[in-house]
Amino acid sequence: MLIAPEFNSRPVISFQHVWKTYPNGTDALRDICLTVPEGDFLFLVGASGAGKSSLVRLLIREEKPTRGRLFVHGQELRSLRRRRLPQFRRQIGLVFQDFKLLPRMTVHENVAFALQALGESRRVIAHQAGAALETVGLAGMERSYPNELSGGEQQRVAIARALVHRPRLFIADEPTGNLDPATAWEIMQIFLRINAAGVTVVMATHNREIVDVMRRRVVAIERGQIIRDDRYGTYHEALPAAAVRIR
Amino acid sequence: MKLFRQLLFAFGSAWQNFWRNLAVSVAAVVSIALILILAGTSLLLGHALGQVLDSYRHRVSVLTISVADKTPLASVYDFEGQLQARPEVVSVHFVTKDEELKSFASDPRNQQLIEQIEGNPLPAKIEVKVARLDDVKRIDALARQWRGVDRTDPTDYKGDFITNMLRLSTWLTIAGLGMLAVLTVASVVIVMNTIRTAVYHRRQEIELMKLVGATEWFVRGPFVVEGVMTGVIAASLALGLLLAAYRPFVERFRAELFFLPLYYDPRFVHVLAQDLLVAGAALGALGSYVGVRRFVRL
Repeated sequence: MLIAPEFNSRPVISFQHVWKTYPNGTDALRDICLTVPEGDFLFLVGASGAGKSSLVRLLIREEKPTRGRLFVHGQELRSLRRRRLPQFRRQIGLVFQDFKLLPRMTVHENVAFALQALGESRRVIAHQAGAALETVGLAGMERSYPNELSGGEQQRVAIARALVHRPRLFIADEPTGNLDPATAWEIMQIFLRINAAGVTVVMATHNREIVDVMRRRVVAIERGQIIRDDRYGTYHEALPAAAVRIR
Repeated sequence: MKLFRQLLFAFGSAWQNFWRNLAVSVAAVVSIALILILAGTSLLLGHALGQVLDSYRHRVSVLTISVADKTPLASVYDFEGQLQARPEVVSVHFVTKDEELKSFASDPRNQQLIEQIEGNPLPAKIEVKVARLDDVKRIDALARQWRGVDRTDPTDYKGDFITNMLRLSTWLTIAGLGMLAVLTVASVVIVMNTIRTAVYHRRQEIELMKLVGATEWFVRGPFVVEGVMTGVIAASLALGLLLAAYRPFVERFRAELFFLPLYYDPRFVHVLAQDLLVAGAALGALGSYVGVRRFVRL
């Protein structure tokens, strides 16, 4: 049994004995207990198929837990009604490995799109989209199309889109998976800036170098279970030198 | 204000998507237009048949009773009163022998004949208009029992013709309803699948909308608006083609089968335009609504 770390701020995410079992009987997640306080930066690591993506899908309520309770921003997700789902998702910024940009839209339209979906005014959209693009270092590229951009630039647009509605929680699923090491570091700098502004960041990743260098909280998953939760962790348990173990 | 902006977004997005996915949009327009052309053709044919049937129905719904020459006028009025009192009778009109002769003489085709006849051999008549065709038989039976009727040629009742016409009318109504039902089901399925293909091309966009917190109606709105737009364009296309063909068709038909009372009806053009535009918009909206449902559900 793992004990969640002690933090002084209130939790943004709280898994309480959460299980996810698929209809074929596979347990994707088993008895997950995890608390993520506000402002935390957490790496979710583990081999492919370990359960990272299932955990992310539960966090954005693409799927419901089979057992246990999952709270995000104080909202219990199993009982969350469908009509309240949009409101819930507006509090989360999402970034994916494959960027998920709309190829027929310009950079500005891709970012503005998230605000249009919320019914914001043109003035607000122009202001917030401009600010988000500036944060990711893409000011001046508003009129470009995704296919005119490099992989790193495309991921920056995706981050700007996730940022534009000012979420309190940022979830990134393998955001550096399709990028070269130098670009991956640039993207990580953006995530650090976002986190420094008080936004909680949860990042599922395979990038050992980044996890080892950044020394942030690391939650390792194996066969659907949390096997390690280190406050200043590394990718593998074999590198424990500076890690502060909680258990 | 937010609702207005979202509506504006739905219209803007629908317009943009229509042109950005022009190939799929054209496919949807063509399939809806073909269905509406079929529906419009059946409406036009139904209307033409209706015109012909109405004309015959009008003719046979008036029963003419010949009055024997020696029948006293009091007996005629008495019988006229009896007929008028019946609920199935719409009107009764007595035509005297003189009026009948005058009417006969006024027809240019009878000019030669009128010069040869002496006196007035034509009987007086009672013209009875009934509300429903199947009531004609009852009035005919009543007239034949009346003492004042001309026994040589009592009425102009055309029993078989009326029976056949009623049968034809019933079958045409059933066939029309059947065709309408088949067309409706087929059109909804075709439109739904065409629009589903369009929606499938944009599933990533929908997925993203859902992930950034768009409501179901915000995602669905542009598709439904686009569906209505597609339907209205298709209806306009179908209407244009049908109207271009309607008048030449009627003229050709009249030239070949002049004895059939078929004519170009400008009032029906308005009805047809209204029906097709409403049907096009409804089909587009319904097809989009159903087609997008699977992808939109949060």
